[in-house]
Amino acid sequence: MSTDAPPGPDSQTLFEGAPCGLVVTQEDGTILLANLTFCCWIGFDACSLIGRRFQDLLTIGGRIFHQTHWAPLMRMQGSVAEVKLDLVHKDKHCVTMLLNGVRRENADGAFFELALFTISDRDKYERELLSSRKVAEGLLHEKTVAETALQLAQSELKIAYEKAERRASFAEQMVAIVSHDLKTPLTAIKMASDMLTRDELSAKQFKMLGHISQSAGRAERMIADLLDFTLARVGRGIAVTPAPVDLHTLVSLSVDELRVAFPAANLQHQCNGSGIAYIDADRVQQVIGNLVANSVAYGDLKQPIIITSSCEEHQTIVSVRNQGAIIPESLMATLFEPMIRGTNDRNARSVGLGLFIVREIARSHGGNVTVRSNTEEGTTFEVFFPQIQS
Amino acid sequence: MNLRYRNNIKVMGEGPSTLIFSHGFGCDQSMWRYLVDHFTSRFKIVLYDLVGSGQSDIGAYDREKYSSLMGYAHDLGEIVDHFATGEVILVGHSVSAMIGVLLDRLCPGKIAAHVMIGPSPCYIDSDDYVGGFKLEDIQSLLDTLDSNYLGWSSNMAPVIMGAPGQPALGEELTNSFCRTDPEIAKQFARVTFMSDNRKDVAGLVTPTLILQSTDDFIAPIAVGEYLHAVLPNSTLSLVANVGHCPHMSAPSACSEAMDSFLTLRAGADVD
Repeated sequence: MSTDAPPGPDSQTLFEGAPCGLVVTQEDGTILLANLTFCCWIGFDACSLIGRRFQDLLTIGGRIFHQTHWAPLMRMQGSVAEVKLDLVHKDKHCVTMLLNGVRRENADGAFFELALFTISDRDKYERELLSSRKVAEGLLHEKTVAETALQLAQSELKIAYEKAERRASFAEQMVAIVSHDLKTPLTAIKMASDMLTRDELSAKQFKMLGHISQSAGRAERMIADLLDFTLARVGRGIAVTPAPVDLHTLVSLSVDELRVAFPAANLQHQCNGSGIAYIDADRVQQVIGNLVANSVAYGDLKQPIIITSSCEEHQTIVSVRNQGAIIPESLMATLFEPMIRGTNDRNARSVGLGLFIVREIARSHGGNVTVRSNTEEGTTFEVFFPQIQS
Repeated sequence: MNLRYRNNIKVMGEGPSTLIFSHGFGCDQSMWRYLVDHFTSRFKIVLYDLVGSGQSDIGAYDREKYSSLMGYAHDLGEIVDHFATGEVILVGHSVSAMIGVLLDRLCPGKIAAHVMIGPSPCYIDSDDYVGGFKLEDIQSLLDTLDSNYLGWSSNMAPVIMGAPGQPALGEELTNSFCRTDPEIAKQFARVTFMSDNRKDVAGLVTPTLILQSTDDFIAPIAVGEYLHAVLPNSTLSLVANVGHCPHMSAPSACSEAMDSFLTLRAGADVD
């Protein structure tokens, strides 16, 4: 006897103390038996449980689920497994349990035998999983919404781009047509007035021919400005064709021409360093012309206008400086925008496109333009062209 | 579109008129197993699964269409048109009773009579109405569904223990009964328990049998009495039963009540 294993617990002890809740009910859920383990978990003693319906121990959601899912399953299949339910403890808190159940028939009728396991920790873990999944689903939803919005924006952008392209190509065509149609009669006027100067003229006639020639030249420049403005604003920008140029020679040539155009001004050219710049010579001449015209219009003509050309290692700089009234601070921010003029004096200049065109030409080169204006130094425009070798 | 495949339609029995059985939330047509045999000798029988339930075509589930019971009512109308002969008597469990009411309102005359098992026109209490539930109770159900479907893959039933005594039946049912995509189950639960069909039932003159369990948590007696009061040609029949599925737990009481209702109707037609 002594060598035998000790006898196991009797079946009643096993039932009461089993490491899971054990409940037997009638088919309608009325509790017939409940073991001690279940009673401890749920907070009621066996006496108060017997006669109650098992489903009445569940949360409302659990009771609906019981009616719509596991009660029909028990009847149809005779069993359920791994049903997760929240039971309401006597103290009103929820105890989460996993339920396995089986329907068993004997002579007295059919019974449901239920085994329950508390799964508080696993429930916590599952709820975390669930909330993570909800977060993930929320993010996925947001992503989908964002993608849809992006697609919409892209298609709108595409439409806008196509529209801008059409407008740009229209503007360019217009510029080509207008420049031809307007320049031709002006050229004819200039040629005709040149030919007339070869004849014998009275002083008055000579003076008037000079007016005609000057006005035609001004009209030509204005047309060129307007066409550049149109290209920069509506078209694809001012086109430049950079090529290697000796900077100082180019600027010196420009200054010489400008001396003829502005005989009242004292133009001085200064050189720093030396070298070949990679720029569009015609356009840079236009830049210098516009800046000098600006200085002549707004500066003090009693003092020299200094044009400086500088060759540095990584960039080429052309600057124009004049003395005289400084540019008001309020004007600085919009100085390079089209249609902005330094004063309200209508006679000062034509439409305010000069500085805008200077900036656009600088930008077309990948460069930029800056301005400083103070009483000590005067007003200085500096145009930077990066030293790019193709 | 193949209706037979979409709604997993089963046709059996013979008779001059047709009984269409429409299951409720949570199950499928196999719940009619205990009731159907009683009628096959006298009626043509049509069984089907609501789209999204049982062995219906999950691919036909359209969240937009089934965001209200009207989507299911349209389906039922198509099934009546294609599979029913003679007079149509709709046997609707729970939410399907209301799907039948919606179809009746949509196409009067399509349904000759209703047998409503545990019906409820509205589950949520309001000032002058007792449906039995509060809004937060429905949220609690959705949470319970959420946690019970957590471990399931998208279209697999939970692991079911073998069914003692009926192993073959158990195996068969595991594959279809209560099988639902969790997302569909949640939407169907929301559509079912948030619906309010009180305006649709009010004054509906189609002859109706209300089979009311004496103890039904989901459709309490007060709800059955409410329906009896607002449906002028209705009969309220109390079935001694605990639970929401008297056609499963008290099938003979149900078939008796249905027999007398159907016999009375047959007599009325002769007159």
